[in-house]
Amino acid sequence: MDFFAFLIDGLLIGFVYGIAAMGLTLIWGVMNVINLSHGAIITLGMFGVYLAFAELGLHPYLGIVLVGMAGLLTGMVIYAVAIHRVINAPHLSTLLATFAVNMIIIGIGTAYFTTNARNVDFSLGSVKAGPVNIQVTRLVAAAFSVAVTGSLYFFLYRTKYGKYIRAVSNNREAAELMGIPSAFILALSFGLGTMLAGIAGGMIATFFPFTILSGGTYEVKSFVIGVLGGIGNPLGALIGGILLGIFEGVMPYFTETSWVPVFEFGLFVAILLFRPQGLLGAKK
Amino acid sequence: MAILEVRDLASGYGEVQILWGATLSMEKGQLTSLVGANGAGKTTLLKTVMGVVKPREGSVWFDGRNVSSLSAHKKAEIGLVLVPEGRQLFTDMTIEENLEMGAAPKRAKSKFNANLERVYVMFPRLKERRLQRAGTLSGGEQQMLAVARGLMSDPIVLMVDEMSLGLAPVLVLELFKILRQLKDEGLTLLLVEQNVQMALAVSDYAYVLSHGKVDLHGHSKDLVHDDHVRSAYLGM
Repeated sequence: MDFFAFLIDGLLIGFVYGIAAMGLTLIWGVMNVINLSHGAIITLGMFGVYLAFAELGLHPYLGIVLVGMAGLLTGMVIYAVAIHRVINAPHLSTLLATFAVNMIIIGIGTAYFTTNARNVDFSLGSVKAGPVNIQVTRLVAAAFSVAVTGSLYFFLYRTKYGKYIRAVSNNREAAELMGIPSAFILALSFGLGTMLAGIAGGMIATFFPFTILSGGTYEVKSFVIGVLGGIGNPLGALIGGILLGIFEGVMPYFTETSWVPVFEFGLFVAILLFRPQGLLGAKK
Repeated sequence: MAILEVRDLASGYGEVQILWGATLSMEKGQLTSLVGANGAGKTTLLKTVMGVVKPREGSVWFDGRNVSSLSAHKKAEIGLVLVPEGRQLFTDMTIEENLEMGAAPKRAKSKFNANLERVYVMFPRLKERRLQRAGTLSGGEQQMLAVARGLMSDPIVLMVDEMSLGLAPVLVLELFKILRQLKDEGLTLLLVEQNVQMALAVSDYAYVLSHGKVDLHGHSKDLVHDDHVRSAYLGM
């Protein structure tokens, strides 16, 4: 395969990485919680689409939309049950709470699905663009990711609840004093972050086979992207995702695939050392 | 009948108790000031009234109803609004968005356009900069925005914490004039101030808080002549 094929492949997957990272950084930015259940929720998105496709016979893209809606509700429930009681506690408590949610999801998932690989057996074929073949599922996922990012911006900057989220993120106590129900807004933000993670998982399920443990990889990638793109900035997450996707795509052209994570995390550490505000700069 | 009544209110943070049974009462349409030394518990009193800090003892009554257990956003919803110390603006949002956030309570939504017009007339500088981020404003403009944001929630009782802190005297005077004007329009105000002289000059009634309790209260024009107040707070 030639260089351009690697590049385009990585680029298109990068959009999906961006959506996954947006879910992580939204929660991080609004409530200062590092969500260690992020990977498990991505996995739930994968299995959600798988079940909708294999058990209910639904089109995978309809499955992704349903997973998004279920993700919003699930996230709000997770917030109410596990996060809200420790939201003002030190970071360790929220880390442990979200890690516990992670363990519960993976434990139940493993019991139910085992760790066997699944696959959403579905293809839209490929199109030829000059010298390279591009899989249509990846083109659709990239376009869908752009639409999701646009909708998120519209929601955050143009709607009442979106503005409430920005207000709570900016100054929670002042928001509460102004009559904004901050606990509900935090739950909504966690729900949105979960929704984005679920959608990302659902899109990944249309490219690759996966197991109940697959989400962890994407969680770690989301951290790298968060650092690349800055926290609290959806467009930064998308761009960071694309950059990471391209990086992952072209590296195998120069070196063995097994070396890619070494360079990826080397980059992560280098950015943390030399530009901790993120390559693109955080919001504040 | 009193519109806002605080009965034997006690509260604090963790192991530290700040308020030790403060009692005060405000009549509708009155401008009341709450003065006292640094650390007397003024800000804690306001935060406890709002429910940001939970009361340990005592109660808060609003319009004849015990509202002690309501959370802060529900208090704002019924018309009890605090302009907090240090302005606490949404610095990453525009001026107009800040004002929009002030209008979060349901009761304020139907009056949004009228209230926006009103605060822009009151503070023309905010209108000029309405699309600018709040964090880029000067200290005085930020305080104006904080008061304007409070007014956007269409309060019945507006409590203002340390409005004059760190502002140039000419700005302080301008802001006090606006509060006086609001009072004349029928708003009930509670003003917490370190600038005792200014607070007594502008208010109808005043409470002096000391070590978490009300030490003294009376009509402001009488307190100005009180020997204890003059020596302890006015430096005379």
